[in-house]
Amino acid sequence: MRSKKTLLALGFFLILGVMSLVGSEVNASSPQLKITPELKEKFTLKPHHEKLSFKCVDCHEGQGDDPENFKAIDDKGCLSCHKTKQYLADRLKFMDNLHTNPHNSIHDGPKLYCDECHFEHKKSDNMCLSCHSNDVKLWMRPTP
Amino acid sequence: MNKESMSRRDALKLGALGTAGLAMLSASNAMAAAPTEKDVKFDEEYDVIVIGTGFAGLAAAAKAAERGYKVLILEKMGRIGGNSVINGGGMAIPNSSWQKKYGIEDSGEQFIKDCLKAGLGINHVELLETIVKRSQDALDFSIKCGAKWQDVKPAWFGGHSAPRTLVTDNMSGSGVIKPMHEFVEKLPGCKIMTRTKMDDFVMSNDGLSVLGVTARINYRFDVKLLSDDVENKTGEKKVYRAKKGVILASGGFSMDKIFRKIQDPRLVEDMDATNHDGATAGALLKAFQIGALPVHIDWIQQGPWASPDERGFGVAPLLTQQGLFKFGVAVDVRNGKRFMNEMADRKTRADAEYVILREAPKAYPVAIGTYNTFDTQIYPQIEKGLQGGVMKKFDTLDALAANYKIPLDALKETIKKYNEDAKNGVEDQFKKQTLKDVKGKEAIEMKGPFYAIRLVPKPHHTMGGLHINTKAQVISANTGKPIPGLFAAGEVTGGTHGASRLGTVAVTDCLTFGMIAGETI
Repeated sequence: MRSKKTLLALGFFLILGVMSLVGSEVNASSPQLKITPELKEKFTLKPHHEKLSFKCVDCHEGQGDDPENFKAIDDKGCLSCHKTKQYLADRLKFMDNLHTNPHNSIHDGPKLYCDECHFEHKKSDNMCLSCHSNDVKLWMRPTP
Repeated sequence: MNKESMSRRDALKLGALGTAGLAMLSASNAMAAAPTEKDVKFDEEYDVIVIGTGFAGLAAAAKAAERGYKVLILEKMGRIGGNSVINGGGMAIPNSSWQKKYGIEDSGEQFIKDCLKAGLGINHVELLETIVKRSQDALDFSIKCGAKWQDVKPAWFGGHSAPRTLVTDNMSGSGVIKPMHEFVEKLPGCKIMTRTKMDDFVMSNDGLSVLGVTARINYRFDVKLLSDDVENKTGEKKVYRAKKGVILASGGFSMDKIFRKIQDPRLVEDMDATNHDGATAGALLKAFQIGALPVHIDWIQQGPWASPDERGFGVAPLLTQQGLFKFGVAVDVRNGKRFMNEMADRKTRADAEYVILREAPKAYPVAIGTYNTFDTQIYPQIEKGLQGGVMKKFDTLDALAANYKIPLDALKETIKKYNEDAKNGVEDQFKKQTLKDVKGKEAIEMKGPFYAIRLVPKPHHTMGGLHINTKAQVISANTGKPIPGLFAAGEVTGGTHGASRLGTVAVTDCLTFGMIAGETI
């Protein structure tokens, strides 16, 4: 089971890696933005995105070449890879029994903005904590 | 906000944001008057604009849209529902169809009497009478919008002289907000914009009528700011016309660190509250700016059933109100004695807790009860409270007393006397109204196990707000008459609850007057 999962994951990353390579060629005409170590430190990526060797313009499409002027990409940006909020809710369906599915909560259903909780360039902040300070650690892992 | 009207410390704190902060202050001073028609160009036009997406806002929008109006709903937060979506889902309805079904006797007069008692007699009775007349309609309307209420005997909340509270099927206000949100989204002509903050009312050129609002889209509320209303400059400006009027349903201000402290200096900035972060006074102040009449602003209710062992509302309010308080006791940990009627109104109980906490700030009182005290619908919450550590379970009173450092003999004596009174049907020292239900039995079952929660009051509901009439029209301080084009409903209004609101009457107030605003406009 485990090795199968690992293989799948590896395959997934390989494919995405290739895709991002292809993407970079396609985007050759888009602004050339050199990713310096300083830039990397200032706008850190989450490990799961880092692994995929994302470049700034992969998410900040058509936003020019100055990272200081980039805008948040909104739900549409996130969901261009992560499909739909319902899909994300269904992935955590096993948590529905205990009413702890953060993507389908008792309060909001699958309707919250991604960036109520998830932030790419700073620490994510679990919104559930504002009322369920004691429960969240029993319900789920730190917010990626 | 005028610097002279703030304390020196507050001004310094805001000033500490640097010159940028000061520049912002002067910028907001420069905007002293509301814009008029000639100052603006409307980007979009609607019949009705609703500010806020809580019970009152959604009920108003649903009602207005049902009548065929084109409705725009603005919500400054990213999340729909404000306090309503994190609320406990209880709605008190006097003389309800539910009470009739379960054989409970009640009357509108008794409900008003209960509200006046908790409200120290300063309630605006005509608003309570409106609730008596229309709350069943509001309940039926919520059901029409898809809300589901538990089909059980109504619950008995503190300060009520009869069980009259219905609870949603998921025990949260979201049980109303979620279906109502979907209902509104499906209505033709209804549009909801989140992360859109209303900035100003747009007035007619003579300054007498409300014609619309200015707002900012892509607004990002910032919880780190001392005053989001004053300091936050995010978003892009838009101007919206409301042909029939604006319904203000922007909620209370229990999380407004500056404004709540000006009204009640005991509420220091870092004090926790049960509310969502966006519960600030910004929109209320804008209504004052155009002449709306204030009422009861400094009556800020604190929930006596909250716990210092969790943030915000949490799970303690459910486990105490529909549990420990009913047949259990709350004791002063220093002497093991009871100090209040655990089923009194909120103000009485919060004040009693404060007497202890002023003398010894860390001596949080402890509520104690046994399994029989919990309402059946609360059973699923018990495990949750225990897992999170907010509620603790002890096999013996000895272990409980040792944990909270309560003098054991005194505690045993307190419970012995309390149980005897309950069993014998004798009125106890605090005249607790629920004990007559356990006549002939132990109120606290001595076989155990014993459940306990530490208590602290938290700011919960701001009683004060805009003065409205029974048609949800906002009254002008300048004319004494309704301001043409301005309506309000819910916690942003004042007067209904007087000095202190009875538990579970907020949902009733919001849904009833929201519905009425949508009918009147």
